[in-house]
Amino acid sequence: MNITIDVKETELQTKVRIAGEIDAYTAPKLRETVFPYTERETSNIVVDLSEVSYMDSTGLGVFVGLFKSLNANGGTLQLIGLSERLRRLFDITGLADIMNINSEVEGGV
Amino acid sequence: MEFREVMQEKYKEILESYMKDQNEQALYLSQKFSRKSIEHKISPEEIISLHKTALLDLGIEFSEAMLPSFDILLEVMMAYGLAYREHQNLRTIQQELKSEIEVAANMQQTLLGTQVPDVDCLDIGAISVPARQMSGDYYHFVQDEQGAVSVAIADVIGKGIPAALCMSMIKYSMDSLPEGQYEPSQVLESLNRVVEQNVDPTMFITMFYGMYNTVNHTFYYSSAGHEPGFFYDHKTKDFKELYAKGLLLGVSKKTKYRQFEKKVEVGDIILLMSDGVTECRTEEGFIEVDTLKGYIQKYIHLEAQEIADKVYKELEFLQGFQLRDDFTLIILKRIK
Amino acid sequence: MDSCVKITNEWDIVAARQLGRNVAKDLGFGTVDQARITTAISELARNIYLYAGQGQVCIEKTEAAGKVGLIIISEDQGPGIQDLRKAMEDGFSTSGGLGAGLPGVKRLVDEFTIDSTPGEGTLIRAIKWLR
Repeated sequence: MNITIDVKETELQTKVRIAGEIDAYTAPKLRETVFPYTERETSNIVVDLSEVSYMDSTGLGVFVGLFKSLNANGGTLQLIGLSERLRRLFDITGLADIMNINSEVEGGV
Repeated sequence: MEFREVMQEKYKEILESYMKDQNEQALYLSQKFSRKSIEHKISPEEIISLHKTALLDLGIEFSEAMLPSFDILLEVMMAYGLAYREHQNLRTIQQELKSEIEVAANMQQTLLGTQVPDVDCLDIGAISVPARQMSGDYYHFVQDEQGAVSVAIADVIGKGIPAALCMSMIKYSMDSLPEGQYEPSQVLESLNRVVEQNVDPTMFITMFYGMYNTVNHTFYYSSAGHEPGFFYDHKTKDFKELYAKGLLLGVSKKTKYRQFEKKVEVGDIILLMSDGVTECRTEEGFIEVDTLKGYIQKYIHLEAQEIADKVYKELEFLQGFQLRDDFTLIILKRIK
Repeated sequence: MDSCVKITNEWDIVAARQLGRNVAKDLGFGTVDQARITTAISELARNIYLYAGQGQVCIEKTEAAGKVGLIIISEDQGPGIQDLRKAMEDGFSTSGGLGAGLPGVKRLVDEFTIDSTPGEGTLIRAIKWLR
């Protein structure tokens, strides 16, 4: 049960690469690492989930929190590299309809 | 003799015996001695003092110059002694917490209790097992005057106490819904507003709400991000997903929920579940949906409650009796 | 006998310990209790040095109801403790690697009282009775 989070900032966007599992144990770390970036004005966050092997509802909770915070501060959230399993999770929960998922448009929105 | 003097004597005996011929027996006695000292809360620094005193009493030959070294040892052991006592105290606190949580878990059971409705045309079974002491899963039945049976199944993100507290709130909002409002889409829309206003932004709830009309035998349902259920077609012996899509409760205030419907024939079965069922994980990975369907198929001829219990037993076994997530399974079988 | 040590730097902690050990020895405390008393003094002096910057630790003989004991009085005009209840909680100070902390000191002695006002300072009295 481990996670590595790698944040790279460029002028246009903040790119977050996550590898490992996102569950009740690792979710707090993810939230703490990424949340500060959502509170800046108009920040564009791109999260690469291609190396995430597992995510449960606690993980979804983190993304809902990030999404809400970004919306409140005029920023955007983009999720890329979702496996089929993750994709299904975002589909069932209706989040795929309100979030920018797997559109693979690099370089911010 | 005072207890400490007894211990001092005992220690001296063990030491004397061992100094003579290094026998294993003495080492075994030392082990027993240490267990006894822990039992009587004798801390590490006291053991050092015992050792020093015993050495002096026995008049064992050693360089006097060595003696002050024990002061260093004793000083170093002080912190261990403190840590040891702190540990004992924390253990007591942990036990208190544990029993407090047990009380809360029982209370939750009472608070969230629901009665399985008794209707002629339906055979209903339900099972809900928490992964930890308190559950974040919830199910609820309501039977209205026209005989319609409504069923809600919900899952709060996370597990344990925060999830349980949140669930209690949902239960009370459901109880206070306007009389006669059992249209699934409306129910979800009302609850969504409650959750959106009252819950932490990172907390959300998935819910499947269904209403079985016992007159026209149609099942009306809506989902707020909940794991889709299954529909078992008695004629074709086939499972279909009870597809319904909708946003999680508590994400956006203005969410509208689409309502779906499904005609139910005699022998057809509706299966509703939490993600603890479909996301069931074993050593080798997630179980496949087909595996799950297989288990259901295996027991499909039984009574609803038995199907639920048996499927749970299978999955429990598959996971090595360690649930990673709360588990809830509800089965509605039309029998006439 | 000068029974107080001013604490302004780390070496004063050693001086306070030395004073405590001398008084404890004179009163007839055994080696284990001597070590407990000096550890308690160490912790209190260290707290002054780390958090208040300066203050003093006094060590005296005390008598009550036919018992003889040693009293440690630690006093500073530092920032005080915001949440005493939390500071006295196990696992709070130790988790940050700050040593035994106040609960540890409390355990080492027989009587312990603390009075702290944020912005004004802290006064701690700890007594160890001779058995």
